[in-house]
Amino acid sequence: MRIERMGREPEFSQYMDLKEGWLDRRIFSDAEIYEEELYRIFARSWLFVAHESQLPKAGDFLTTHMGEDGVIVARQPDGSIKVFLNSCPHRGNKVCFADAGNTRRFVCNYHGWAFDTGGELKGMHEEYCYDEIDIDRKKNGLKQVARVAGYKGLVFATFAEDGPSLDAWLGDFRWYLDMLLDNEDGGTELIGGCIKSVINANWKFGVENFIGDAYHAGWTHDSGCRSMNNGEPFPPVDMENSYHASVNGHGWEFGTEGVGDLFLLGRPKVMEYYERIRPKMAQRLGEMRSQIFGSVASASIFPNVSFLPGISTFRQWQPKGPMEFELKTWVIVNKSMPDDIKDEITKGVMQTFGPGGTFEMDDGENWSNCTTVNRGVVTRHERLHYRCGISRQIEHDTLPGIVYRGQYNDANQRGFYQRWLDMMEADKLDAMPERPEPRLTGVSETRDVPGLFAL
Amino acid sequence: MLEMNPAPVLVEDMIALTQRLYHEARLLDAERFEDWLELLCDDVTYRMDLKRRRFRADRSPPAAVGAGVVFNENIARLKLRIDRLRSGYVWAEDPPNFVRRVISNVEIEPADAENEVIVHSVIVIHRNRIDGLARQFTAGRTDRWRHGTQGWCLAARDIALDHAVLPDSNINVFF
Repeated sequence: MRIERMGREPEFSQYMDLKEGWLDRRIFSDAEIYEEELYRIFARSWLFVAHESQLPKAGDFLTTHMGEDGVIVARQPDGSIKVFLNSCPHRGNKVCFADAGNTRRFVCNYHGWAFDTGGELKGMHEEYCYDEIDIDRKKNGLKQVARVAGYKGLVFATFAEDGPSLDAWLGDFRWYLDMLLDNEDGGTELIGGCIKSVINANWKFGVENFIGDAYHAGWTHDSGCRSMNNGEPFPPVDMENSYHASVNGHGWEFGTEGVGDLFLLGRPKVMEYYERIRPKMAQRLGEMRSQIFGSVASASIFPNVSFLPGISTFRQWQPKGPMEFELKTWVIVNKSMPDDIKDEITKGVMQTFGPGGTFEMDDGENWSNCTTVNRGVVTRHERLHYRCGISRQIEHDTLPGIVYRGQYNDANQRGFYQRWLDMMEADKLDAMPERPEPRLTGVSETRDVPGLFAL
Repeated sequence: MLEMNPAPVLVEDMIALTQRLYHEARLLDAERFEDWLELLCDDVTYRMDLKRRRFRADRSPPAAVGAGVVFNENIARLKLRIDRLRSGYVWAEDPPNFVRRVISNVEIEPADAENEVIVHSVIVIHRNRIDGLARQFTAGRTDRWRHGTQGWCLAARDIALDHAVLPDSNINVFF
């Protein structure tokens, strides 16, 4: 499907110069730009909708949003997953108000139209009032998304019929994603339910914080770090052996010291666990990735998913207007972990990066005020500085993507906004540039292939 | 079913515990956290479970394994939170928020242990944040209070938060 707003061809390139390193603040506050984002980014991107572990059996469903479009994600009797609008084709009412569960039917509260878990219309209340020519049931099911695809447990959907496959969309970022999704046999699962909170901030501030902003941690989270670390602040980062890597707007910033994020989780048993499996991880993913895992790191998948590998918080920033988003957070663990390790990780995540966590509660105010100051008409025309590390790009034999040296950097943020601009300006998704040209060609290559990514 | 004959509770206990809840609220409103800690037993548990909206007829187990919690704290963890608040580096609370707790619907019933009682109550927390906006949390609480040489101390608190979506960016407040 092709969904567009009528009558406006804005020049989005006027809002940034990423070679110079600045952004215009209106992209964080302007209502019209936000509307364009819903059309051009959220109605066309591959969006995370579920983890397969949330829907283990037929009839399992959950409700979520793609942009501001409410959708139902449901496991089918044949094991596939369907994603369709959570809105009745009769008068538009929501057909499912539950967060998740197991069901055989979704029945609209208004006139009793009933749909099966594939979204097909199966019956209506007082059906005799419809003559045969009035309604074709086949054409009045719940609107399906254009495509659904998965990558190692994560389920994505898109409203766009054109554009790249999910594998091409993720591109070389899969090399990094495997550190989270494929560091042990059996893959991952989301546990501990989902916490939702509302923050009066633009959704991009959450994404860019995780995509590259290691810089804020030492100051914003000083109190959290000191309370976890006997009064000591964050140690300075090793700018020589830490990196930013950006692929098609996705980004991962990381050290190579191996323990920073594991330490911040505050759970010694979990640290020991990862140290035990690290040699196996090295066999599986190569020496480099086994050293990156567990380091101070954070990452985002374009446009609106973020996580902390090692700390195991996994989250999505759902846009709710230019100055509001809903934050959904889960805990991601390896399926093969023993229950006590899963339990330790769940506790650690809630105590650090849940809404009641010692780190999380410092962030919301910053993002909120970065956004709402732009109600001021003079303020909103001021540029924001995104130039940190602008000359530190390197070529790296092992690390794919656009790589910059030094974890304190705005490089991944610039990569994210470059992709944002590419999408906002592209009429055809197929015409969007790859940033950078991919090294990997297939799923099988995302794990290290001897010789190809030798250290 | 209406409990026609609830187990009797001494009037003095009723008054003492209700006063404890009010006193506790006032200590927390005034950020007298160390004084509040004095009211807790050493083995205190402090919990807020995660709730999800599910259909009434849906009897299937939750799709994701593991029970979610927002808080699952012991005395050491509560102290750590207070250390953090006292660190002088909590930018999101400086200037301080205005926080006021309203406690109501206090109901007391006997517990299994002889020196303990169950105390039900409702708490409404008003927070005026540094951005000037006010938010409100509403929750039910089921406590276990234990009587010892220091009078009544809190042995367990289960908090049932009545929000499917947290109406704020954090929940950095004691219930």
